[in-house]
This record gives sequence, C-alpha cells and structure tokens, in this order.
Amino acid sequence: MNRLNQLPTLRIDPAVNHSLTYRGRTYQGVAGDTVATALFANGVRIFGRSLKYHRPRGLYSLDGECSNTCMEVDGIPNVRAENTLLENGMTVKEQNVKGSAERDWLGFMDKLDWMMPAGFYYKIMHKPAAIWPMAMKQIRKAAGLGIISADHKMKGRYDEQFLKAEVTVIGGGAAGMAAALAAAQSGRRVILLESRPHLGGCFDYRVSTTSDGTPLHERARQLAEKVKQTTNIRLFEHTSMVGAYNNNLITAFQVGKADDGFTECYIEIRSDSVVVATGCIERPLLFDNNERPGVMQVGCAHRLARTYGLLPGNAAVFSVGHNPGLEAAVDLFDLGLKINCVADIREDGQDPALLLALTERKIPVLKGWVATKAHGSKMVQKATLCTIDGMVKRQFSCDLLVASAGLTPVSGPFILAQAIMGYDDHTGYFLPDQLPEKMFPAGRITGINDPDAIETSGRLAGLEAASAAGADLWTKVAETRNALAAMPGPERGCKLVIAPVKGRKSFICFDEDATVKSVKQAIDQGFDVPELVKRFAGVGLGPGQGGIPGHNLPLFVAKYTASKETPKPTTVRPPLVPAFIATYAGYNHHMFKRTPIHHSQKADGGIFRNIGVWQRARYFTADVDCKEEILNVRNNVGMLDASTLGKFRIHGPDALKALQRVYVSDMGKAGKDRIKYSAMCNDDGCVIDDGVVVKRGENDYYFTTSTGRAGQTAEWIRYHTRYDNWDFHLVNLTDAMGVINLSGPNARKVLTKVVDIDLSNEAFPFSGYREFYIQDTIFTRALRLGFVGELSYELHVPSSYMQAVWDLLTEAGKAFGIRNFGVEAQNVLRMEKGHIILGQESEQRTNLLDVGLGFLWDRSKTVARTVGAVALRQAANDTGRLTLVGIRMEDDARPARDGSLIVDNKVRGYVATMRRSFTSGEAVGMALVESQLAGAGTRLEIFEDECNGVRIYARVVPMPFYDPEGERMKS
Amino acid sequence: MALTLTCPICGKRNGYEFRFGGEDKGPRPPEEGLTPGAWCDYVHMNNCTAGVQKEWWFHRDGCGSWFTTWRDTTRNLEAEPPEANK
Ligand SMILES: [Zn+2]
Repeated sequence: MNRLNQLPTLRIDPAVNHSLTYRGRTYQGVAGDTVATALFANGVRIFGRSLKYHRPRGLYSLDGECSNTCMEVDGIPNVRAENTLLENGMTVKEQNVKGSAERDWLGFMDKLDWMMPAGFYYKIMHKPAAIWPMAMKQIRKAAGLGIISADHKMKGRYDEQFLKAEVTVIGGGAAGMAAALAAAQSGRRVILLESRPHLGGCFDYRVSTTSDGTPLHERARQLAEKVKQTTNIRLFEHTSMVGAYNNNLITAFQVGKADDGFTECYIEIRSDSVVVATGCIERPLLFDNNERPGVMQVGCAHRLARTYGLLPGNAAVFSVGHNPGLEAAVDLFDLGLKINCVADIREDGQDPALLLALTERKIPVLKGWVATKAHGSKMVQKATLCTIDGMVKRQFSCDLLVASAGLTPVSGPFILAQAIMGYDDHTGYFLPDQLPEKMFPAGRITGINDPDAIETSGRLAGLEAASAAGADLWTKVAETRNALAAMPGPERGCKLVIAPVKGRKSFICFDEDATVKSVKQAIDQGFDVPELVKRFAGVGLGPGQGGIPGHNLPLFVAKYTASKETPKPTTVRPPLVPAFIATYAGYNHHMFKRTPIHHSQKADGGIFRNIGVWQRARYFTADVDCKEEILNVRNNVGMLDASTLGKFRIHGPDALKALQRVYVSDMGKAGKDRIKYSAMCNDDGCVIDDGVVVKRGENDYYFTTSTGRAGQTAEWIRYHTRYDNWDFHLVNLTDAMGVINLSGPNARKVLTKVVDIDLSNEAFPFSGYREFYIQDTIFTRALRLGFVGELSYELHVPSSYMQAVWDLLTEAGKAFGIRNFGVEAQNVLRMEKGHIILGQESEQRTNLLDVGLGFLWDRSKTVARTVGAVALRQAANDTGRLTLVGIRMEDDARPARDGSLIVDNKVRGYVATMRRSFTSGEAVGMALVESQLAGAGTRLEIFEDECNGVRIYARVVPMPFYDPEGERMKS
Repeated sequence: MALTLTCPICGKRNGYEFRFGGEDKGPRPPEEGLTPGAWCDYVHMNNCTAGVQKEWWFHRDGCGSWFTTWRDTTRNLEAEPPEANK
C-alpha cells in the first residue's frame, strides 16, 4: 500500500523497513509502525475472531481498547497489536480461529447466538453435572482469545523503578505538556507519563489551528521540544499508568525502546500532587454490526492517515456526534478519501466552519441521522443510515464506516483514586463529584475542546499542582483561572445511546461478544444495575478493561430501566491496561546466599538445594541415600558446612532478661564453659526455634538459632521486649561467622593436628564450650555437640577464615578418612539419634511438649513472663494433642515416605521423617500421632500418596535408634 | 503500597520497609493470677478500629527498631493521633 509519505504529522520513518512474518509470509512495515498498522499497510483487514461468535474483527480505536487486535506476537498471546511497535523479524499469529482469520471454520457460531443468551454459562451448563467437563472442553476449544503454552519461556528483561517527584502528570497531550511545563517552572521535580510512544495527544495528528494560526500538530511538537529541554521534567513515553492509590502513589508500565536495556519496566511514583490529563477516548456508536472490519472510530481513521500515512479506506461514510468527527472528514477528504456521506447525530450545534468546509467539498451532510447497520459478511460494503427517530432510511455503499457517538473521558485515574463519580449533564461525561486530594484535572477530560483552552487548563492544573506541592504560585493560579474562564468552556456532548435498532448484532462489548440484546436479557432477569449486568452478561471484563463499554453500559441501563437516578459508571481496577505478569514479577528471582566454602563443596561434587535463603550441599554423590557419607561419619570422620545456622551476640546489663523472656529454660544457668540447649516458643506455646547459648562474659552471650529463624530472631526478641526499655544490644553474626561441624570417632584426632590445646574428654567434655586459636591464628569458638550422635566439634570461625579452616581440616583428616557429608546425611544421622529438626518433626501447631522437649521448660520463672509459658501451662493438661514417637516398619525393606498419613478410618497423625538405617538395617523414623496411639507396640496404619488402597504398617518403638546411652557422642 | 511510615530513627520511609506488629495493647500481663481467657484476649483479640489507631511497626529493612505510630485504617495512611491522645 502506498503511504502518504510527505505529511508533517507522520510518526513513521518510511525510509527504514522492518519486516514481520504473518501466516507464513513476510510483510514489510516501516520504523514507527505498530504491528497493527504494518499489517494494515499490507492489506490485512481481519485481525482475528471474536470470543464466542467468531465474528471477524479489525482495527477499531488504534489504542488497544478492545481485544479486536489482540494477536500472538513472538509466542506471547494476547499482545495488543495496536500498542506494540513493530520490530524487525517479529512473528505474528491471529487468535481464536480454526483455519484463518479470513476463513474461520467456526464462523457459523455467529448464527447460534440465540443458543447463548445472557448468563447461559451459569444457567445451562451445570445440569446434568456429568456433561459439564465435556462441555467445558468443547467450549474451551471454540471460545477464547490467545492460548498460553505451558512451557513458554518469557524472553526479555523486566525492570522496576521507584521514583520520587513533587508533581506527576498523567498524559502527554497538549494539556499534560502545558501542566508539566508550568509545574516545572517553579523548580519542582515533574514526572510526565505518556501512554503512546510519542507526546502530542489529540494535537499530534490534527491540522486545525490554535487562535494564533499554528497548526495543532506543530504546536504539539513545540511543546514537546520544550518539555524535552526542561531538565526537571522526567519524561516517560510509551508508559501507561496502571494504578493510582492513596497518598497519590501512581504506578505505570514503561515499554522499553531498543536501547533502554529492558523490555518493560514497572514504575512506582510517589509525588505530592498529580495532574490528570488523560484526555478522551471515543464513545462507541451502537448499531447493527458496529464492529465489522471497516467500521472504525474517528481517531483511528484520522491517525491511520496522519500518523502512519495509510488511507483508512477508499470510500467512506461517517456517522458521528461531535466536531472532531467532522474535522476528520474534512481532513481525510483532503488527503484523498472519497466520502459518500457524513451523518451527524446532532440536529444542530455543529461548528459552522466545519459545516462550511464540508459543503465546499460537496460532501453530503445529514443532520439528525445515524448509522443503523453495516452490511457485508466480512468487510463493510454498505451502510444504512437512518434518522434518529427511525423514520427514514438510506443506504450508501462504502468500505469504511467511521462511527463514533461522541467522546468519553479517560477517568480511570479518578476512579482508582477512589473519587466518587457523578454524571455531568452538560457534557454527558462521568466526572468526579469531588476531586481526590491534590489531584487536578486538565484538558479534554474536563469537557473542553478548544485548543487554547486545553493548553490553558493544563497550565492552570500544573500551577495548582506545584502549589499543592509547596510552591507559592497562587497569584499565577488566579490569573490563569481567569484566563481560562474567558475561553470556550465544556461543550455540550452528544447523548445518543443507541441507534434505532433492536440490537441483536449491536455489540456493546467486543471483548466478550456482549450485545445490546444480551444486556436487555440480563436486565429483564433482574440484573438491573450496571455492576450486575457487567458480571452477568459479561460486559467490560475482558482485556480492554471496559474501554469500549465503560461509558455506554451505564447510560444504556439507565435508559432501558427508565431509571430516574443519574447513571453511575462501573468500577475499574488496576491494572488499567493489560500488563505482562513478567513485569510485575521483575527479575532476579534466583538470588540466594552462599556459604564461604560453597565452591570447595561444589568442587567436591556437592549437589546443592535451595533451603530458605541459602544454597546448601544436600549430597556429595549420586546416591541420594548417602550411604557412604553416613557410614563414614559413623566409622571415621565427616565434615559438614553448617554456616547457615543463625548466630547472635547479645550483651548489655539486661541481656539475660531478654534471653529469659524468649527461651523456655532458665537461662541464668548458662555457664561460661558449658553450652545450654534450649528452645523458643510463640505465645501459643508452639515451638519455633531451638539452639544453644553460651555465656562468654558478664552480660555477654553468644547463641545460635536454626537456619530458618536467623532472619527473624532480632525482630522477635526486640518485639517481645518492646515495652521493657531494657538495655541490651543484639548483633546478628550469621553472615560474619562460618561453622564447620566435625563429627565422627576420629574427630578428635583430626582437630588435635591443628590446635595445641588439650582436647581430651576430661579437658573438653561433651556439652563444653572452648575458645582457642587454630594454628595460632584463627580465633575459634568450639562447641561439643552431638546432633549426629558421634563425637563432634562445632567450630565457629570468622567467615573470611572459613576456607582456610576447611583446607586445614581436609589436609589433617586425610589420614583418618575424612570426607564431606551433606544435609541429607545429617538428616538421617540425627534421626537415628532421635534428635528433632523443627519444621520437620513439628508443624505450626506443634508445641514444646508434643515433641518431647518439655524438660527444657522451667515453670518457676514466671517473673520473666516467658513467651509461650502461659499457653504451655494450659496445654500441659490437654489430652487431645499429637505426640512425637519413634516408629519402625513391619517390613524393614519398605520405609514410609516423609509426610505419609497415619490413619484408621480418619487421619490420626503423620510420619515426620523415616529412613532405612544403614547402621541397623531397620526402617525407622519419627511420627506425630494422637496420644492414644503413642503407647509402645501400637500398630500404625500408614497411607501414602498414590498407594492405591494398599496400606503399610509400622509399630511404635522406643527412641533413639542408635547409641541409646549416648556413649559415642560423649566419648 | 501507598503507605509511608515515619520511623523515629530513619524518618519517613516507604511502607514496604516495615513489618506490622499489631495494635498497641500494652505490656504483657503478669503471669501470676492470669486466667486463660484474659491471656487469650491479650494475645488474640483486637479492637480493629475503623479509624485512627495506635500500632506497632518494625523497621525491618532499616534500623531494626520497633516503634509505635498512628494509622488511619480506613485510608491506610499514617495519621495524627486523635486529640484525646496528644
Ligand atoms: Zn528506622
């Protein structure tokens, strides 16, 4: 198609070609094209098929207010082709077609609309219930928009920005630019958002003039230049505002340009005041086949020619209700479009200059007429026009029917900001009854259309917004307000709701194929307010977010119900325009912490898993049962990286009081050379953490928490002491210290080689705490613990020395068979010993007593007001609780899976951990069961997922399963 | 989140940085003589004021301190304390 290449209004560069693939063919577009205009330039008129009836659909608004031109672009479904700039090499597919958009085998669905009255999904499809799954499958095949491939990987980089400004201006038309410039003059920081890829708004493509004779497109470019030169205006083009919240928080999505380094960017702006200059879209005209390809809105036809150099058709009929419609007819005629007739809904009130221009061009004008039907099975071939009373009809042949009932303000920002909306009788617009705090409207959204007034109202709003943000511009505000008052005010809007038709094929919502008829059906069934009709008949629930039906639905409902109340618009919610979930999600999801010896473990064959915020080595061989790792700890010596443990220092005069508050034991008994094991509960007595505490000096303690609790511990302790004004300091050393657990009968022999203190069992016994230097250099805190049931040393050293210690121990341990073990081996080793891991042998409702840790609780320290103590006192008498028991399978070859249920005819408990022990060959584990089942020898029936009715059995047995006297860990 | 909060140490900051700590209910009651019902009320019952209430917030992504502030629960904005509490 030949472009109108010389227009000063073009936003394309005809010299730069971009190609795209559509239906297996390569088409050429140019830089600046959208996907939609590039296809249009290549003769594509039918872009896809509608949701239910498979009706052909084409360009309508050119701003993506409906699903008509939603297409699959580079594998991403439901992309709005009208809003997506063409990039070289794109692959585009049509949606919801069997065959092609041109020849869709499901096109006959359009004839079956009588089978699908409003609400038929709800009323018919539920009985009989058995056919519902089948029916749903068929419906899903036939209806819908794009199809998401389950394994589609979203390409691109999705960024986010959190901005601060004094004034945010939404909308980069003449009013928005004037507002931004006025606000910026005061030195305030201004952010300007424009949803199209370029500034200009409704001035951008028009050749009519301001009062001084400047063509509007030229004026738009002058303002844009000034905006770009103003350093305290930060401009975001191709950025749609999607949310407005209280405190004037504005959110938006920015589409990245080629050199931006992101595909889309989520923007969150905090500003003191906001100017809403979002302008107007067109209110669709309701008549039969009002969405047939070839029917389009005024702005669409006008911008196709002026912005993209594409004549929208050959011979046109116009059916409009506002002066911009007449202006477009004149301009398009001058650009070469044949116009067979212009019907204006208004009997009078047209701009006389425009009427004169139409007469001069010998274009017939019918006042008080409106389109009632578009003819043509796939494309418009003819239009029926009619007087608005329905008396006289005439037909005109055409391939383009430009139709628009009038304008409607883009009031979404106000509704999102929770303004109460009212109906303005003069303009016919829904406008806020009362403006939200520090939010100022500007431009066409206020009902004005005069170019000078649009700019002046923008300037006024900008000055007001800057003043609300602290600038003292009130004199200027008053002057500008007076100037605006002297200009043409809001224009009377066209009130026509529907052409004189029955409306079986008059579409009020294109996204969901909702017709005037289906809306009437919904109202007849009692859904007589817009919010109910919207949901029952499916109007405005689609990707267009109500852009097409948003204004017409409440007007129609008010008219059809003969309601005396003023119509109310339906609510819109963020995001105002469709947005990628990828953009909401942002990037960098694969962040985790690594321990200081991560790489050494990796080199040793470690297989890592994400555990909370950390990556930890789970296994060191392909054997997921970890037999060798386990037996090596039992027989020789193993080394575990336990750096993820929470590590804290608490010190100060009231440190002990704080410990007494959160630990259930009497922490006054924490001694200097001994470790004290204890647990923390929440206020319900449920156990949330366990760890050890050592007293390193007067009012100075060092303690550990489980890996999962490290992040919350400071918050927890400070929360539970927040009223006490205690004097203590809490230092989180989790990342500052690394931990190596050296375990096994040879552990002492290994450690002896790197330290020169007496490590004999008498000098450093089980439960002891010592501080020493490794190789006279590395300060080490050593704890003699027995989590895995062997002689073991937990060595806490500065993180930066971890690698050195690891290397020293590896070298020293060679002679004793040292090797790594991972968290799975540790899990089995400690399970054999009956030592619990919170979160595995407990869940949210499990209390300290349930898991057999009641011995830790000191009931006498009531003065401490210990967290959980009151609840535990009550729970101590509660018989209906679960109890932790040891269990052994009747068949040792068949350990139950972790998490399996213990049942009789109802659930009686569950298996926490179970493995086949390599030490004993028995399948043993721990389970939480109802106390009636806790007696030794009780037979337990176990239900596993996917067991197909086959149960397995275990018996309650005494714990621990390994070294019951603890001789090995104490040796 | 539109909410901003004023930390006594760090000043006015984005609401994302904070963790909610519940209504201000006063210090933990002494254990002696405490009935289970009274305890349960202290831990679990709330006034759920529709309007301005005093509550605890933790500056999690900041200085790490707990503080009280007043918030209008109907608008989810930090607010001036009611006259009687000034
Ligand atoms: Zn702070």
